[in-house]
Amino acid sequence: MEIDQKEENGIVFIAFKGRLDGTSAPEAEETINTIFKGESNRLLFDFEFLEYLSSAGLRVILGAAKEMKRRDGKFVLCALNSYVKEVFEVSGFGAIIPIADSVESGIKEIS
Amino acid sequence: MTGNNMGTESILLVDDNPTNLQVLYQTLESTGCKLLVAKDGETALAIAAKASPDLILLDIMMPGIDGFEVCRRLKDDPAQAGIPVIFLSALTDTKDKVRGLQLGAVDYVSKPFQPDEVIARVNTHLTIHRLKREVESKKDELENELEVVSDVQRRLLPKNLPEIAGLKLAVHYETSLYAGGDYYDIAKLPDNQWGFLVADAEGHSAPAAVMMAMTCALFRSYPEPPAEPGDLVYFLNQHLCKVADPSFVTALYVVYDANHHTLKIARAGHPPPMIYRSSDKKAIEYTCDGVFPLGIDPYEQVPVTEAELQPDDRILLYTDGVTERFNKDGKTYGEERLLRQLEANPGSQPQEQLAAIMKDVDNFANGRLADDDQALLLGIVE
Repeated sequence: MEIDQKEENGIVFIAFKGRLDGTSAPEAEETINTIFKGESNRLLFDFEFLEYLSSAGLRVILGAAKEMKRRDGKFVLCALNSYVKEVFEVSGFGAIIPIADSVESGIKEIS
Repeated sequence: MTGNNMGTESILLVDDNPTNLQVLYQTLESTGCKLLVAKDGETALAIAAKASPDLILLDIMMPGIDGFEVCRRLKDDPAQAGIPVIFLSALTDTKDKVRGLQLGAVDYVSKPFQPDEVIARVNTHLTIHRLKREVESKKDELENELEVVSDVQRRLLPKNLPEIAGLKLAVHYETSLYAGGDYYDIAKLPDNQWGFLVADAEGHSAPAAVMMAMTCALFRSYPEPPAEPGDLVYFLNQHLCKVADPSFVTALYVVYDANHHTLKIARAGHPPPMIYRSSDKKAIEYTCDGVFPLGIDPYEQVPVTEAELQPDDRILLYTDGVTERFNKDGKTYGEERLLRQLEANPGSQPQEQLAAIMKDVDNFANGRLADDDQALLLGIVE
């Protein structure tokens, strides 16, 4: 699992590469918690290179979504592959967390 | 357990030369450790077996069995393999040092030695050994606690499957490592109706076990027979929302009317049931609308999907530990394989069918242990 982050025009971008599961979830959680020490209230997860998502990964995403809600911010997940998208849909998370087809459309959604 | 404490730790000194042994003894007296001595390999092994010292300083060249052999035999014996060994030898060739370390020694000191150096190394290795023992004992404690939790959890599951007129049942339940988050339960409802709940608390170990136990307590305290799946799921969520943050529980609740072969299904973030239709010999994932998992946010309403079964149809409720079971190549078992297995062996009993499914899952995993719990509940219409 690789996690890259950057901040541009007030949006924090986090790109995940590999697998977000029980093994990598703690590292992802730590990265996100560090970001939450700041005041950012617009967050974009780039899932283009995310291969696999388990329920532990869903919990990480849910934690981020809840925190953004608390600070009245905006949060979007972008560029999910078909497997990850299916996990999202079957689990019903699609109803509580917005998804965008690409990073570009994700930026528009939260700008 | 010997339970040696600091200050009462013991060191076994092994050397065939009495003068060397005496110098070593005097050098280490200042450590405050209890010192044991042996003048040959056989005696050293006998003392090690009896006294379980915390450290052994071992000469290599001795009459009878030499130091290398003593070390090899110690490392072969599980009861003594954990005792750290430091070789102390006039052999200064690198290959002797390498051989000693390859045999499992923790250090190698050349003779003639500097007393301060020996004391420093002995103290270092005693500390490492002590910390290692402490970590192991904490690990044992934690594992014991998880086993207790796991026992309690298994007692929460139904002890026996009910006899249902018109539906034959079988169940498979296994946790990945001690306590798990999977749960299933069955409620007897009026008029030969039955409620089947399968749930999966996110995560493993104690936190997941607590969520699983909460779900169980809520299900069993539902104020009326839970014949309306939407209402039950709404109720479970309402209460789990107060405690679950930031975790969640996925659940599938199915009410089966065994007189009319009809189903009502409510789904919260959980995989939908799989249904095998005997008429067209095909199994499908039965599409049903759902809500997100329990414990996140209140629901506005919970959709309920209906279905009808025919004799010899099969219905499988399961947790994703089955379909997400990995093999050594990092591939998952997947829904497709499970569907094909559900179609196999026409005419078989549910127990046989489940055993065949689990055999296929295990064959697929090919020795890779499950890292999630697996629960399956299979019904075959009579």
